[in-house]
Amino acid sequence: MLDAQPTPLVQVQDLKMHFPIYTGLFRKHTGDVKAVDGVSFDILAGQTLGLVGESGCGKSTVGRAMLRLYEPTAGRVVIDGDDVATLAPEALRKKRPTMQMVFQDPQASLNPRMTLAEIVSEPLDEHTNWTRDQKLERVYELMDQVGLNRRFVNRFPHEFSGGQRQRIGIARALALKPRFIVCDEPIAALDVSIQAQVVNLLEDLQEKLGLTYLFISHDLSMVRHLAQRVAVMYLGRIAELSPSKDLYARPLHPYAEALLSAVNEPDPVLAAQRKRIILKGDVPSPANPPKGCNFCTRCPRVMDICRTVKPDLLEVEPGRLVACHLYTAAGSTGASEANERNQQGENQ
Amino acid sequence: MSMRAALLGAVAALGIAPAAFAERGTDGEVKLTFPQAVSIMNPYLSGGTKDIYASSMVLEPLAGLDPDGNLITKLAAEIPTRENGGISEDLTSITWKLQPDLKWSDGTPVTADDAVFTWEYCTHPEGGCAQATKYEGVAKVEAVDPSTIKVTFSGPKPNPYTAFVGALSPVLQKAQFAACIGAAAPTCTDQNNMPIGTGPFKVTGFTVNDTVTMAMNENYRDPAKPAFASAVIKGGGDAEGSARAVMETGEFDYAWNTQIPPDSQAAMTAAGKGQFVVAFGTLVERLEMNLTDPSADLPEGERSTAKHPHPILSDIKVRTALSKAIDRSILVEVGYGAGGKPTCNVIPSPDAWASDNSGCIAQDMEGAKALLDEAGWTDSDGDGIRDKDGKKLSILYQTTVNPIRQDFQALIKDWWTELGVEVELKAIDPGVFFGGDAGSPDTFQKFYADVEMYANNSDNPDPETYLGQYQCKNAPSPENQWQGENINRFCDPAYDELHAKLTQTTDVAERQAIAKQLNDMVTKDSMTVIPLVHRGTLSAHSNTLGGVAINSWDTEMWNVADWFRVK
Amino acid sequence: MLTFTLRRLLLAIPTLLVISLVIFLLVDLAPGSPMSEIPLTVPPDVRQKMIEALGADQPVFVRYFLWLRQFFWVEPAYAFDSWFGTTLAEGEQRILSWQSRSPVFTIIGQRLPQTLIVIGTAYLVGILIALPIGIYSAYRQYSLFDQGGTLFAMIGFSVPTFFSGTLFIIIFAVWLGWFPTKYDTQLEVVDWATFWEQIRQMALPVMTLGLANAAAISRYMRSSMLDNMTMDYVRTARAKGMSERTVVLKHVLRNSLIPVVTVIALGIPSIFGGAIITENLFGVNGIGAALIGAIHASDLPMVQTLAFIFAVLIVLFNLIADILYGLLDPRIRYD
Repeated sequence: MLDAQPTPLVQVQDLKMHFPIYTGLFRKHTGDVKAVDGVSFDILAGQTLGLVGESGCGKSTVGRAMLRLYEPTAGRVVIDGDDVATLAPEALRKKRPTMQMVFQDPQASLNPRMTLAEIVSEPLDEHTNWTRDQKLERVYELMDQVGLNRRFVNRFPHEFSGGQRQRIGIARALALKPRFIVCDEPIAALDVSIQAQVVNLLEDLQEKLGLTYLFISHDLSMVRHLAQRVAVMYLGRIAELSPSKDLYARPLHPYAEALLSAVNEPDPVLAAQRKRIILKGDVPSPANPPKGCNFCTRCPRVMDICRTVKPDLLEVEPGRLVACHLYTAAGSTGASEANERNQQGENQ
Repeated sequence: MSMRAALLGAVAALGIAPAAFAERGTDGEVKLTFPQAVSIMNPYLSGGTKDIYASSMVLEPLAGLDPDGNLITKLAAEIPTRENGGISEDLTSITWKLQPDLKWSDGTPVTADDAVFTWEYCTHPEGGCAQATKYEGVAKVEAVDPSTIKVTFSGPKPNPYTAFVGALSPVLQKAQFAACIGAAAPTCTDQNNMPIGTGPFKVTGFTVNDTVTMAMNENYRDPAKPAFASAVIKGGGDAEGSARAVMETGEFDYAWNTQIPPDSQAAMTAAGKGQFVVAFGTLVERLEMNLTDPSADLPEGERSTAKHPHPILSDIKVRTALSKAIDRSILVEVGYGAGGKPTCNVIPSPDAWASDNSGCIAQDMEGAKALLDEAGWTDSDGDGIRDKDGKKLSILYQTTVNPIRQDFQALIKDWWTELGVEVELKAIDPGVFFGGDAGSPDTFQKFYADVEMYANNSDNPDPETYLGQYQCKNAPSPENQWQGENINRFCDPAYDELHAKLTQTTDVAERQAIAKQLNDMVTKDSMTVIPLVHRGTLSAHSNTLGGVAINSWDTEMWNVADWFRVK
Repeated sequence: MLTFTLRRLLLAIPTLLVISLVIFLLVDLAPGSPMSEIPLTVPPDVRQKMIEALGADQPVFVRYFLWLRQFFWVEPAYAFDSWFGTTLAEGEQRILSWQSRSPVFTIIGQRLPQTLIVIGTAYLVGILIALPIGIYSAYRQYSLFDQGGTLFAMIGFSVPTFFSGTLFIIIFAVWLGWFPTKYDTQLEVVDWATFWEQIRQMALPVMTLGLANAAAISRYMRSSMLDNMTMDYVRTARAKGMSERTVVLKHVLRNSLIPVVTVIALGIPSIFGGAIITENLFGVNGIGAALIGAIHASDLPMVQTLAFIFAVLIVLFNLIADILYGLLDPRIRYD
């Protein structure tokens, strides 16, 4: 992975997704909810990018906007050579087989009136001209891949357990042999015992089929396990984008630090030593974000500049991108402090 | 007399419209519409006018009445009189002769036995005959020979033209109804819906409360009639819709009972497709004064009974004042237009029977006020309401739910309020008001109010029976389960005596004089009944329908055989 | 499903018996008398005789049990006789209308066809108008079309049929002269000319009722579509790369139809019930007109029988709606 420098399969540049707000008697356009406000990242082929953040930070919106389930307001989303954000409808439909999504709620995301076979083979109806038997064969093949008993082929979604349903969701996503899959909190709605099975399945499939994932989750420990690189989002923007092991070892952005301090530490010794950072206040409304850094209202280490100037996402260490004035020239005094503290934290 | 009249009429009509009387069944179909649909074609089982009118196109009596209230022959060869020996000298019997060669629509001959059977049918104690009054006082009906019917009365009967006269008392076919006598009467659905008759039409199809289809009767006694080959009566909807179907869209030729607001009448007439015709019978919209106390403080069983005279309305001055305050012309204008005229009589027509009584027509508010002052009702506390001995002049005024009646209530309330009378209005569902349920406090007979308004009429130009209502003995009371027609509880021995005299009198002029006197006794002399509007029946017919002569004494279809298509 | 249906049907029997008693008592206690339409010229003693002839003077429970017997034994036996030529109901008294002295079931039999044809067509037309409006309104929520659909629904909801009906009469019958205002129940469709005549005479009542029906159903359709439009599985379908047509018509519509079909099924008894005002206005003289006429005339056997049949139909169509729901939505199972 280190030696060859593979080209990124997915490139997202300055993606913006604003939802207009209409108010009043005549439904006047009075503002926008800036759910995603300038997000950029790349994902290398065969790799997994974790996308984490609290609920409402816009991470799911990123996933949906990337696959044009929403019409992005601005930005480029290049997947396998095509800018998905600007493809014409018909071309987009043709493009869909390469990029798929696994949804958070396996119950809601499966049409309750269609059987497993119908759900999984529907994309084949649309994008291939196979015969019935060929399609059924493919359905069986997919069921084998995701570990579903072939007997279940004519059952309806409600007849399955949560984990099985998510397997259906995965099988459905795999049907057209995609290269890139957005996993939008695929395990959030599942029992803990099932979560690991599904994650393992996703990992196996990635290995077998060479898939590229964007893994959206608020479960930091699961992301650590799966992803090579992790992006931490806050209020529609990326706060930090770092290799997984670096981020978990030493978060740079104060928000990432606070977020990670909340992760359960399996080692009881370390857990005892951990100091949880409790953030004060609520997340500001994405319709009316703070003027400077999005995090300035809650940041324990806020500086004056944070309230006026939005920090850019910059590479502050090799492979590590952070959007924080602590690491820019303007706030360099604070940067060393931050490093110090982190180092102290590690050494303790 | 009748033959000659008929011949003369025919000759006259031939002179006027020769094309119309061409031949039987050449004018296609005549379409009638009734706002109330026909329920049954047997008038003996229904009192509903709609049913009686519809059945009159099929079933016929021995004699009928023309628009002037004169007797005309139907099945009878002539009208029996004392002069021609048809009525016995002692007035206890009347003998009818049938026209020769009469046939039922099924081709069988009409005989005197049919009439005898009809009498048995309607007087059977379990039959529930709606027209039983027509045979009241009839001791016996017998067939003297196949074409002679003798009706014998239990006593002298000055007006013997009741049984077998008019659309309410037609002759049924014995062969058809023989099994339907008594308790079986209501169960004979086919017979009741499709009776075999002698009229110009015969029933070919009947759907209950919807449509009656008829075809011309091949065996009708006049070979040139009817001009129409078929007839249909479509029922349902409302007066407005019926009127519209004739006057505006031209879908129908004749609409019975199109009582609609005066402005709508004018608008529809303007469409130019038809015209409204009005027949004035004896229907009078009136205010009834309660002469007994309806107070809720009285124990049940004593309210509105002769035990307690009315505390306010017992005074004739109050009653007169209430009448004087009303402007009847405005009521007519608002409610009926061409379909009504102001009246002061209970018997407003025929002219020969109507009293010359028009004293109430002009409104006299000042006179009314003076009368109340005189009676001791003054506004002593200045609240706008007159009082006397600490009691307010307050009146509960009830009627049925009906838009015109509610307009009348509002207008009359205004006038009475101006007079210084406090008026409380009440409107009752007609089904309850006229329902006669002894358990309900809201029937017009119980009269738990001071004043009530409705319309009533005499079904015969001779008002003997009708005037009999106001006898003492007819007052509704708990003893007779509140049945009785003397709604006001009017009780005057002189009236009862005079009415008894009427029942004995045979001379028509004398009868008319007595009737006028009786009419005056309940109206202008005592102000017990305050007549408001002489109401006509408004019907509409298309300009293409000829021969219509609206009749208020008999069915409006009395001369349907003469109707024709104007070409 | 079968056991469920049977259990529900068995449970319906006591329910319906109680309903029949309640209806009977209510109708009986309601003020009014079968004699209220008889003119005042008929004297009280004659009225009393007529009431006795009808059997209306019997105690209420005697009349109730007689009705029960007639409804559940005599009438079915009579029907059986007329089909198979047996003589089970020989000499038995059928339920007779007090107003017309005709058997109630004969009247219903005469009136049901026009009610079903006119009111049923209006219902069907209403549905056919409502579904596309509802679907497209939801698909283009807040668009001009949606606003128009909302306006249409508001008019349909708020304008009473006696007003819209009269308006249609004045415009289409009086001014334009296109359609007749009175429905001819005797018209038999035998050729194209009479078929055309039938269409013409149905036009006005169907328009009047169709407008009202369409208003309600289009709103149900719209809101059900909106509910489903935001569901995840719709997003899934889009993500699968299905065409927009497939997404809306196959995924959204088919799921949205489940509650709408139920509402439509529950509305079917009202077709049998007729439309009192519309039927009266246009002289359709179906079941609705019969019911209101019978109520006015205090025709107890007629009102009771009709009300009870409606009760049966409502119970039945509730069951049918439940079963339909189970058939349409695989998530629902009744066993």
